[in-house]
Amino acid sequence: MKIEGTEKINATRERVFDLLTDPAILQKCIPGCEQMEKIGDNQYSAKLSAGVGPVKGVFTATVSMQDLRRPDHYKLVVEGKGQPGFVKGSGELNFVDDGGLTQVQYSGDVNVGGLLASVGQRMIQGAANMMSGKFFANLENEAKSTDS
Amino acid sequence: MAEKVVGKGIKRTEDPRLIQGLAHYVDDIKLPDTLHAVFVRSIYAHARIKKVDVAAAQKTPGVVAVYTGKDISQKIGPVPCGAAIPDMKQPDHRVMATDKVYWVGHPIAVVFAENKYVARDAADKIEVDYEELPVVLDEEKAADPKSPVIHEKIGSNIAYKLTAGEGDIEAALKAADKIVRQKIYHKRLAPIAMEGRGVLARYYPGEQELTLWTSTQIPHLARTQISLMLGFPENKLRLIAPEVGGGFGSKLNVYAEEAIMAYASMQLGRPVKWIEGRRENMQGTIHGRGQVGYIEIGCKKDGTITGFRYNVFADMGSYFQLLTPAIPTLTGLMLSGCYKIPAIQMNVTACFTNKMSTDAYRGAGRPEATYVIERAMDLVAAELGMDVVEVRRKNFPEPFGAENPFKVATGLFYDSGNYQGALDKALKMADYTNLRVEQKKARAAGRLIGVGVSTYVEICAMGPSPALPAGGWESATVRIEPTCKVTILTGASPHGQGQETSFSQIAADELGVTVNDCTVIHGDTAVVQYGIGTFGSRATAVGGTAVYLALQKLKAKATGMAAHMLGVDAKTVTFDDGKFTSGGKSVTIQEVALNAHLAKNLPADMEPGLSATTFFEPKNFTFPFGTHICVVEIDPETGEIQIQRYIAVDDCGKVINPLLVHGQIHGGIVQSLGQALFEEVVYDEQGQLISGSLMDYAVPKAAQVPWMELDRTETPSPVNPMGVKGVGEAGSIGATPAIVAAVVDALAHLGVRHLDMPIKPEHVWNILKKNKAGAA
Amino acid sequence: MIPANFDYITVKSLDEALSLLAKHKDDAKILAGGHSLLPAMKLRLMQPKVLIDIGKIKELSYIKEEGGQIHIGAMTTHFQIETSALLQKSCPLLPETATQLGDMQVRNKGTIGGSVAHADPAADWPAAVIAVGAEIVVIGPKGERAIKADDFFVDMLTTSLQPGDLVKEVRFAAPKGKTGQAYMKVRHPASGFAVVGIAVTLTVDGGKCSASGIGVTGVSSKPYRAKSVEAALKGSALDAKSLAAAASHASDGISDAISELYATGEYRKHLAEIYTRRALETAAGRAK
Ligand SMILES: Cc1cc2nc3c(=O)[nH]c(=O)nc-3n(C[C@H](O)[C@H](O)[C@H](O)COP(=O)(O)OP(=O)(O)OC[C@H]3O[C@@H](n4cnc5c(N)ncnc54)[C@H](O)[C@@H]3O)c2cc1C
Repeated sequence: MKIEGTEKINATRERVFDLLTDPAILQKCIPGCEQMEKIGDNQYSAKLSAGVGPVKGVFTATVSMQDLRRPDHYKLVVEGKGQPGFVKGSGELNFVDDGGLTQVQYSGDVNVGGLLASVGQRMIQGAANMMSGKFFANLENEAKSTDS
Repeated sequence: MAEKVVGKGIKRTEDPRLIQGLAHYVDDIKLPDTLHAVFVRSIYAHARIKKVDVAAAQKTPGVVAVYTGKDISQKIGPVPCGAAIPDMKQPDHRVMATDKVYWVGHPIAVVFAENKYVARDAADKIEVDYEELPVVLDEEKAADPKSPVIHEKIGSNIAYKLTAGEGDIEAALKAADKIVRQKIYHKRLAPIAMEGRGVLARYYPGEQELTLWTSTQIPHLARTQISLMLGFPENKLRLIAPEVGGGFGSKLNVYAEEAIMAYASMQLGRPVKWIEGRRENMQGTIHGRGQVGYIEIGCKKDGTITGFRYNVFADMGSYFQLLTPAIPTLTGLMLSGCYKIPAIQMNVTACFTNKMSTDAYRGAGRPEATYVIERAMDLVAAELGMDVVEVRRKNFPEPFGAENPFKVATGLFYDSGNYQGALDKALKMADYTNLRVEQKKARAAGRLIGVGVSTYVEICAMGPSPALPAGGWESATVRIEPTCKVTILTGASPHGQGQETSFSQIAADELGVTVNDCTVIHGDTAVVQYGIGTFGSRATAVGGTAVYLALQKLKAKATGMAAHMLGVDAKTVTFDDGKFTSGGKSVTIQEVALNAHLAKNLPADMEPGLSATTFFEPKNFTFPFGTHICVVEIDPETGEIQIQRYIAVDDCGKVINPLLVHGQIHGGIVQSLGQALFEEVVYDEQGQLISGSLMDYAVPKAAQVPWMELDRTETPSPVNPMGVKGVGEAGSIGATPAIVAAVVDALAHLGVRHLDMPIKPEHVWNILKKNKAGAA
Repeated sequence: MIPANFDYITVKSLDEALSLLAKHKDDAKILAGGHSLLPAMKLRLMQPKVLIDIGKIKELSYIKEEGGQIHIGAMTTHFQIETSALLQKSCPLLPETATQLGDMQVRNKGTIGGSVAHADPAADWPAAVIAVGAEIVVIGPKGERAIKADDFFVDMLTTSLQPGDLVKEVRFAAPKGKTGQAYMKVRHPASGFAVVGIAVTLTVDGGKCSASGIGVTGVSSKPYRAKSVEAALKGSALDAKSLAAAASHASDGISDAISELYATGEYRKHLAEIYTRRALETAAGRAK
């Protein structure tokens, strides 16, 4: 499944880049992220309780950031697994200046397997949209609250 | 005088228990101390198993045992395949995955616990580490030498290549005025028996007796195979198919789970039960169809067919189940349809893919054949601007029967047929000429009406033993008990078809007793003599014939006994309506039955008792046929398809019970409808089964089914004494092409000649939209 | 198909249900008809530790009209709505919606409260309750409040219910004047849920449309009010042309139309337009 979109964040590219590569901030932004631990260079292990509405599953995930080019670009790779199955995603994030604001352009592939794939196909796209929506809303908040 | 019941649509004697929920399926059989099994199945389509961690599961209170593939896969023989194709490559199909998983649903581990809840909790705790491998999903691309390979030992994904057919195909196509070509898909379908699979196993170590209750269509064949898998004596293994809630071919198989439960019950010393869930059923029970092929049909300007070629890639899935590789060969046999075609060739490339195995699903290879030849006939008609009925008529053989069987270029001799008869009757019922007039008018008014015609023939009553992997005969024992109740033991174990009723009807008429006096026992290998099973529309033509022949033996003996009782020569005795009569004296069959058992007044050379067994071996298959006509209307704004009328005239030879025949036709048409318009097993590009539940996989429901106008013609088969042919699969063979043809026909004026199944409204809408854009 | 372990408690009153909800918080789930909850539990997609069965609370099952308001208790089944003489007379949209919902077994057990609380993006009730301008009356730790249906549905399977809240009833003003209503649905061939579902209520005054309510389900991850359609209808003569023009706005502003195996988002939007027009035509016909 492809996901892509553009979100506008009210901060400079550098700031957005820094926020989005800061594990503490990521933990706050990723919906349901309960824990984020460094396990290597730009590599983290995370615990997420993710889902939509009452349908939730606990996932353990590794998050890695690759191809970091501040403030233009990086690639985010997430692999999570839990009782309802697995989720694997990788996405390119590009940061484009938009008159002092930053456009975050993201495009990636998400693969879902196990129970989620076999019974959830009509909702998966919606769930992905919902999660990314929440993510960027959180990010916007972070950008505001940690405004320096 | 008692009324004859053969030919009467009496209600099924099995129904009261089914309707009231009083029947006993595997899960209704409860044994004390039973352990419940839950499987852990692969969530990847193709991966190496790095580690299976069962520690937490084992520690769960209530868990008695956990087996992984490594633990047991060498202790149980491979999952059997009964079909053999020359030079076929057969992977070693173990009961569970060991190093690699090959499809989503491949069993990796199994938990046995005090109840199913604990078993499931523990199964959830089993952690499997996978290393993903590239997946092979498309049966055509799988054949590409550059494709990743599923079975390293085999070295390619090609299971076999096979060429079949007779006649000089090159010359035949060269001789044609026109050649029409088309690529055609037969998507994978899930059989979706209402009752999934289920197994209960119990071992008595003292008696060394293993009893297996399993939801199967083939109790005896399954017993033989499972005894071989376990290395356990066949005569100590009792296999019972209790009430079986449908199979559609999916239970014409031997599955890993059956052997695993049997093995576990012996190891653990307790009964073990496994009941398949629906999601498991979608992932781990065989699928049907799964072919993509290219047709080439040559014709003369007048519509005469000169030759037909079908090059097909057949999707085997990752392993062979019982008949997996044989299914495409059945397609090859029926490519001639009901037409005179001088040359036919089928080239099969059968490929492994990272999916569940395909195997027999209602029709098993023949729906594919009927679909391609019927689509081909329509394409020829379109190419030549002929009516679809005329093209068919042009190529029909004259009516034929015992004296002049119809030889086709696939090597078969069809037993009897009158294709014109069924066609004419259906056309009349449909008022075909007028339908075409109305269609034209409607089209002028902007309405999209389509008429589809399919004239099909199928091969059934499987079948002569030399043509089948495991014997094509069937057995019956008929006993008359001292109180003149009649017990029929059949090897053709039914699972919804209604043999308990139809076989009783046969016996009732032959013996002059009532249907209620008869009982049909089946499915228990400890009670019933060896038999083959119910599949391939064979139960009545082969199993029913065995019953009929056993009854003749019984009658002969009873007549001898009656003659003795009457003190007359047996030749002078007539038997009618339950009475043996000679020269004004008579004895009833009841008196004879009692005498047979009291044995006080028997002829000197006669054994006591009244019981006869027959093993009937048919000399040929039978070839039922018919015409189906479908009328659809398409919503020009949305592409939604509505079936307006459905007409079917089927000829299954002599009919024992028209109600059962209608039931079979109804069900078959409904499954065809599903295939044509809704059903499709979908694996995504990672090999995840995303049509994994009945929320997404669309089995037709009553409200989606049109009214069906049914009639029949009766052309007796010369292959068996009752003249019956078989009807279990007819609907699912004849209807699919008619429905697809109707939709195509509704769009024909837009240049549409073929659409692949399932024909979804959105696809039709896209065509309509494009056309509108083009017209604007 | 084997659910995880849970405790099961039946309650006899709203207060009891609320106090149990307060006690068990996120671990608890209300059990109404069970026709969404139990399937999810059998798949272990939901694993509540406590089920609070409100089926025995008599005070939650009613359909009544009081002071121009129609009240439907949360535990009222689809079947009761389908066969309610009161609704057939005063708001036939709801019985018509019920008729097209699931099958007889589902309608006998499933409830309107459960359906709105579950907020399946393809459920039928959300379209209807938006169309009639209903409020969802919610009772929680801090007492009762009414939430407009438009605000109640937040996203897929997500409502504005807060922890400890319970849906008490659905209520709305009984349609007045010359009204016409219709519910039209394209059923998913497998699930029977709405690929699109369009609920329409129109009020006609002097041959013109004076007010309308259009609820759409199945198209997006949440049900929505087709505001541009309503705006276009206002004051229109409800002739074929104006209805078609209004219907063309059925999915205005929807960027996240659901795509699944059976129908893409693009097709869904198209169906929304066609079925909105058809539902409008039917409703307009009935308003005469
Ligand atoms: C085969 C089948 C077909 C169906 N087809 C359709 C269809 O075509 N259209 C359609 O719209 N629906 C359909 N449904 C869903 C059905 O309508 C459900 O009954 C309904 O969605 C949920 O109602 P329920 O009373 O069963 O709720 P439950 O399943 O008991 O509960 C659902 C959720 O709501 C919560 N809940 C329930 N009541 C309350 C309350 N009063 N306050 C707060 N939370 C509450 C529960 O905790 C749970 O999370 C179908 C269901 C099935 C099984």
